[in-house]
Parts: sequence; C-alpha cells; structure tokens
Amino acid sequence: MVYVMFMFLFGLVLGLAAVASNPSPYFAALGLVAVAGMGCGVLVGHGGSFLSLVLFLIYLGGMLVVFAYSAALAAEPYPEGWGSWPVLGVMVAYLVGVCAAAGLFWGGWYEGAWVSADEFVEFSVFRGDIGGVALMYSAGGGVLVLGAWVLLLTLFVVLELTRGLGRGALRAV
Amino acid sequence: MNPYILAILLFGLGLGTTITFASSHWLLAWMGLEMNTLAIIPLMAQHHHPRAVEATTKYFLTQAAAAATLLFASITNAWLTGQWEIQQITHPLPTTMITLALALKIGLAPLHAWLPEVLQGLDLTTGLILSTWQKLAPFALILQIQPSNSTTLIILGLASTLIGGWGGLNQTQLRKILAYSSIAHLGWMILVLQFSPSITLLTLLTYLIMTSSTFLVFKLNKSTNINTLATSWAKAPALTALTPLILLSLGGLPPLTGFMPKWLILQELTKQGLAPTATLAALSALLSLYFYLRLSYAMTLTISPNSLLGTAPWRLPSTQLTYPLATSTALTICLLPLTPAISALLTP
Repeated sequence: MVYVMFMFLFGLVLGLAAVASNPSPYFAALGLVAVAGMGCGVLVGHGGSFLSLVLFLIYLGGMLVVFAYSAALAAEPYPEGWGSWPVLGVMVAYLVGVCAAAGLFWGGWYEGAWVSADEFVEFSVFRGDIGGVALMYSAGGGVLVLGAWVLLLTLFVVLELTRGLGRGALRAV
Repeated sequence: MNPYILAILLFGLGLGTTITFASSHWLLAWMGLEMNTLAIIPLMAQHHHPRAVEATTKYFLTQAAAAATLLFASITNAWLTGQWEIQQITHPLPTTMITLALALKIGLAPLHAWLPEVLQGLDLTTGLILSTWQKLAPFALILQIQPSNSTTLIILGLASTLIGGWGGLNQTQLRKILAYSSIAHLGWMILVLQFSPSITLLTLLTYLIMTSSTFLVFKLNKSTNINTLATSWAKAPALTALTPLILLSLGGLPPLTGFMPKWLILQELTKQGLAPTATLAALSALLSLYFYLRLSYAMTLTISPNSLLGTAPWRLPSTQLTYPLATSTALTICLLPLTPAISALLTP
C-alpha cells in the first residue's frame, strides 16, 4: 500500500513538472489531469474518498473541461509537447531540481509513510472528510456564507474584467 | 463602471481587510487577503487600457503567489505544531515563509520589482487605494507574528530603504517615484518591527497619511510626471506652495510629521545597540530626500518671477473633493508635536 502511495506521489510530481515545463496549453491540461488523478489516488489511500470524488467531478469534470474548451478556442497551428527539445529540457531540469531538493531533505523524522487523520479507518461510516464537510455546513455557518460570498464576488470580478466583448481589454476571440 | 458593481467591489475590499483584522485563524486571515486581491482586480483594469491590464495581471500573479505561500506556510505550521493561531507560530520555518510571503504582498525589497510597474499602470485613485488600503491587511498580520530571524528582518528593511532611495533617483514618472517611496517607507517599518511593533504601526499610519496627501495633490493637478507638475502653479497656487512641505514630510525632515517615525526608529535602534544599522538607514533616507527635493524644485521653486517652464494650462474648475486633501495635508504637516500622545495611544 505504501508503494502505491509512493507511485501516486511520484506521478504527482512528474505531472507537476510536466505542467511547469511550459508546453502548449492542451498538453499542460493533460499534465493537470495526471496531477489531479494522482492526487485523488493519494486522497483515497488516506481515507478521503468523498473529497477525491468531489475533486474528480468538480475540478477535472468542471473546471478543466471549461479550460480545455477555452484553450481550444485559442488554437495554435504547431503546438509544442514534450517531444520538442525546449519543453523536454525544461522538464528534465525541473526533475533534477526536485531530486536535488529531495536529497537536501533526505532522512530525518519526516521520512516514511504518512498517517491518516481518522482513527477507525475502515470500521466507521463517518470518515474524516465527510465529517469535515458536514461540519462546514453546520457549525461552520459564517465561514460558509463567507465562502459563498467570495465565489459571488469572483463571478462579478470575472464578468467585469471581460466586459466589452470585442472592445474591452480581454477580447473574445 | 456600473455603480452596483463598484459598490460590490468596494464592499469586498472593505470586508477583506476587516476579516483579516478580526481573524485569529490563519485560514480566515488568508481568506481576507484573497478577497482584497480579487476585489481590486477589476478596479485596476477598469480603463481596459493594455497598460492597465498588464499591471493588473502582474499584481494578480504576485499577490496570488504570496497568498499561496502564506497558505502553504500556515498549513506547514499546522502540520508541524498543530497550531492555527496567528500569534502562536513559534517554528522558524513557517515564520520565515510567512514573513517572506507578506514581504512579497506589500512590496519589500528584494521582493519589490512588481510595485513600480504596477503603480505606473494605474490611475492615481486606484494607485492610492493600492498604496494605502491594501497595505493594512498584510500589516495586521506582520504586526502579530513573532519574528524568528532577526537578520532577515534587518536585511529586508535596509535593502528596502536603499533600493527605495536608489530606484527612485532616475524616475520622472510620479507614480514610479511614489512606488519607490513606498518601498523605502516599508523598509523603515520592517526595521523596527522586532523591537517595537507600536513604532511600526505609527510609521505605517503616518506613511498612509503622507502618501494620501501626495496622491491627492497629484490627482488635483492631473499630473503624472515631473513636467506636468511644473505647471501646477497655474491650477492650484496655494497647493503649489504647500506641496513642498508634504514632500519634505515624506522625506522625514523636522518639524514635519514625517520626522516622527524616523526619529523614534533611530532612537529604538540605537537603544538596541544597532547604531551602524541606524546610521545606514539614516543615510539611505538622504537618497529618497533627493528625489523629493527634485519634485519640490520642479513644482514650486521654479515659479514666478522665474521664467516659465511651460505654457500655462487652462484653469478649469475642478470637480474633486478637496476636504480629504485638506485634512491629510494638515495632518502631514502639523502632527509632530503630538508624538508623545500618538505613541502612547499606539502602545497596547
């Protein structure tokens, strides 16, 4: 199980390096899919199955799909993936940097498998992540309202920034 | 801008700072900072000019990176110590990360590179909000953290005063000059943070008053560079006579208000045994003073009966409220005798 977790985390870092190596947005979105998928795997392994599901549905199935459609609108004739040397070189450089950082932090008390937060793991129905969400809707009332307000504010911010169609600053293609 | 949208954005700006002020939990403090960033983005880009949009993008990227670092540091602290309280961070790693994240948020050297370009892309009113209101929430957090590394803070402070002084020397655009002035003043604030946070608060408040005066003067004269400033005698003669005092107050000369923070900081640094640091900071203030003097010269010391620097502009009636400018100018010039009262009020 620990090895599965390690593989997920390796995949996560690999995907992050793939996104950061500046390929075309489509390939970067593919890297993000990999990152989110691996992250969901790590979450599931630590007992957060509900959060993992929410991440898949909302992040990958909602936000990333919208991003992919928007990126498709700004299509370029020769997209650069990891087959072209500039992108691959940057990715290798980032991975070398990650290995150097790993070597810097090697050993010590923070090495080893991580422990999950809830104690009864498979023997309880009410897991840590679901309990947290329930608490957010019950005891966390004010902060929930605040979160909803911030989302509404973000909507107005985006609408204001994209106001003006072809005459505004951020123009529709 | 649509007045309803403007109202919502200004409400978001106010709410964000209020939340950060009122919070004792790092997550809530982070939420307040993010709300501030989000709400000011459309205000910065409202003129839809490419320069403004570029400034908005740079501001968003730096502030988002700073907020992400802040969140990362708070979660690291929660992982290491289980503590989410703002005033209870004792582990040096999260403390240093939070200090650097907040330094990026307010624009301390060496994390200052975004500030001149962002301020240059904005109109003077939004620049005023950016320089004053947006500094309050990060400072509320800076004043509460227990500093771990003395050297980091002193390096941030001295670098900021020096870079603020040297950077502003070659500028003719007023907004960039005010950006470098902001960097220098923030450096003074951080220098004394670990010894006396109440002096930091005093410096912040006097800086807010002085820079508000300056921004409002430039806005009234509709001037954004030194050349336009030179014809301001035709638009507002009384203000042209008063502005050198405002600028020299920014430079920190007695008997004006700006001397108050510098005096108290130099005294505190000397009491703590950091006389060379105090000397270096005082000398770096000379650099800033030079460009404040240059502005005063261009604006006031070249008026009649000297030869005209440019054609006199039309004296059209201004629709700007002058009450805020009058109040802040009076405070900028005359507040020094109240030093004992103010420092007593700001000491908890």
